Amino acid sequence: MAIKTFKGGIHPPERKAATTGKVIERIAQPKQVVIPLNQHFGAPNKALVKTGDSVKKGQKIAEGAAPGPMTVPVHASIAGVVKKIEPRTQSNNLDGLCIVIEANGTDETEFMPPLDAFSCTKEEALTRIREAGLVGMGGAGFPVHVKLNPPPNKPINIVIANGAECEPYLTIDEATMIEFPHLVVEGLAIIMKIVGVSRGIIGLENNKARALGALEKAIAEHSHGYDISVQLLQTKYPQGGEKMLITAITGKEVPSGGLPMDVGVVVQNVGTLKAIAEAFMEGKPLIERGLTITGGACKTPKDVIAPIGTVLSEIPDSELEIDENRVVKTIFGGPMMGVAVPHLNIPVQKNTSGVVLMTAEEYGRDTDEEGPCIRCGRCIRACACRLSPVIMNNALNTGELEQATAIGLLDCIECGACTYVCPARIQLVQRFRVGKQLLRNKRASQPKTNA
Amino acid sequence: MILASSPHFSSPITTRRLMANVLIALAPVSLFGIYLYGFPALLTIVVSVAVALASDAGFRLLIGQKPRIDDLSAVVTGVLLALVLPPSTPLWMTALGTLFAIVVAKEFFGGIGANVFNPALIGRAFLIMSFPAAITTWHKPVGFSAALTDAVTTATPLNIIKLGGTMSDVGKSFVASGVASNTDYTTVLRTLFIGSHAGSIGESSILLILIGGIFLLLTKTMDWRAPVSMITTAFVASWALGMDPVFGLLSGGLVFGAVFMATDYVTEPLTAKGKLIFGFGAGLITVLIRKWGGYPEGTSYGILIMNAVTPFLDRLIQKKYGYVAPRKGAAK
Repeated sequence: MAIKTFKGGIHPPERKAATTGKVIERIAQPKQVVIPLNQHFGAPNKALVKTGDSVKKGQKIAEGAAPGPMTVPVHASIAGVVKKIEPRTQSNNLDGLCIVIEANGTDETEFMPPLDAFSCTKEEALTRIREAGLVGMGGAGFPVHVKLNPPPNKPINIVIANGAECEPYLTIDEATMIEFPHLVVEGLAIIMKIVGVSRGIIGLENNKARALGALEKAIAEHSHGYDISVQLLQTKYPQGGEKMLITAITGKEVPSGGLPMDVGVVVQNVGTLKAIAEAFMEGKPLIERGLTITGGACKTPKDVIAPIGTVLSEIPDSELEIDENRVVKTIFGGPMMGVAVPHLNIPVQKNTSGVVLMTAEEYGRDTDEEGPCIRCGRCIRACACRLSPVIMNNALNTGELEQATAIGLLDCIECGACTYVCPARIQLVQRFRVGKQLLRNKRASQPKTNA
Repeated sequence: MILASSPHFSSPITTRRLMANVLIALAPVSLFGIYLYGFPALLTIVVSVAVALASDAGFRLLIGQKPRIDDLSAVVTGVLLALVLPPSTPLWMTALGTLFAIVVAKEFFGGIGANVFNPALIGRAFLIMSFPAAITTWHKPVGFSAALTDAVTTATPLNIIKLGGTMSDVGKSFVASGVASNTDYTTVLRTLFIGSHAGSIGESSILLILIGGIFLLLTKTMDWRAPVSMITTAFVASWALGMDPVFGLLSGGLVFGAVFMATDYVTEPLTAKGKLIFGFGAGLITVLIRKWGGYPEGTSYGILIMNAVTPFLDRLIQKKYGYVAPRKGAAK
């Protein structure tokens, strides 16, 4: 098989060895869960329960305040009693309303009835996906049902399962493909049915080639007659970025300002595909997820399945042991795009692909002080979007927001490759995030002139 | 707990590491220069580096800024300037040139990363204009065995050609100064390639320069485009103008300039296309000066002139991913 890739990118150390090849462990049911009301990219939710209510596992506890396509409900991940509904620190470092459920020790469950994706209508299937609370589990948290329902003028001809997992440290996608390949393939077949395409490709970096056998066997048994194949990709960051994955596999580029559907592609993470399969086959909403808990300061690195809302600090020592003296940085997500959090009193969310507990040696920077740019051009070579980060940064530093935009500020996918390679430690990607925000503010404050 | 924004770790390659790589790449030519010319070469390098460090730190302290000498860039400038000077340059001149390079060409512009012109080349240009005789006096290599000032002064190969000499005149000069035993063409080229002939401290050995260049390529310290474009252009232009292109390549400072000066991050263009054009311009100007200019050698000015063009070449950014051509007549 020819190994495909995209132009640009970087090779950060993989650091996946600590968890690679280990069997996924299921975390014991926690005594309480803290479930953020809003875990999707879109309009806000309101709580459907109040303090003192009893809830069953799988019961819907929050949904869109106003009906609309960009809302995704949230479900109770354990059976118990609602203790509080209050703001708590979430994995994005912001306080958000969370529903705190205390376990009642039972396993009372309220799932939806199973649904055969291959005989139901498209509307029924999309409703099921939305009602199951499914969002992209790779990190962004985009509502799945929206992605699977492109407008009629955007025909889709290929569905890609994203198993690239290019973030260092994380191995949950690989473990999922090895242990649940049938669910990944079933999930892929289901969304192929929904969007009406015959060709599906599972893309993974070639450092995960050991998942190949399991996937091919599952394809033979669970493809429902669809043309599904596996494509190996070069191990390179950000290979798992949606745009880079599409370009590597199809050779097409998503137009600037456009979406994958503009080139006839729908991409879903392999973990999301597993959850989709479960939502149809078992009627199970998105109440648990796989994630990698690792890093040099984690004495028990492993891939786990944890109920949504599991608070890191409440996982018993027998399952998660942290070297408190050595941890200098705790990251929700991977080290390239994740968010550093101040403490572990934070719940696992639908988009938490991993938690990395870094030591000072792993962090590696002796100083966070930025040096002067020496114009080495490493950021330009690293940029998978073929932007010129140094030039954009110079424009932003001199307040020339329009100039930065003209050369591609909004095309930046914020993968952080430029910042990783910068020998002067300039926080390029952070400047671009701030620059985008400034631009949004500026555009929002300008009166709309074109009707 | 550290709460810095993503990415949460970085490449171990820092500015200091890159500058150290350049110094490692310069080590073979520096040692060879010391081997050829003995203490004068050694002292030139030592004085140049010391003055570079002192003036860099001193100037920044004077303007109330934190010194940045630990990034090693001042050391690189010091070594580079020493290596493009004749070994017989008086030490006070070397010191003055370095001071000018660091303070005027680098710090006045804002320090590392902000200068328009290559500081070492500016230092050299300043010395040539101020002290033309001293900076164009060349001695035959005598090593540590004799005092350099007692050694015969000689013309550089480019000088001989500039004054209307032929390749066999170059060969005779090599034999006369004892660096070759034969005057035939191959021996001349071999001598030039090995670099055991009169010239600047570090510019003569093409072999060792290339070894340094290969090291910089392997460690991904430098980009191949500017030097390859510069050398190729100079080769083709020399040939087109009726000069011996192989001789042109192996003599003077062309290869040294292409490998170590045209690849200066700060003063070469950022973009791939820009680097190619930069090298093309520098190579072409070098040859034009060699052919028609008042100097036998044009590498320094070729690069310096293209340094001035760099800000314009930086506009040649690559087409971004998913580029969509703006529709004609579309509303802004």
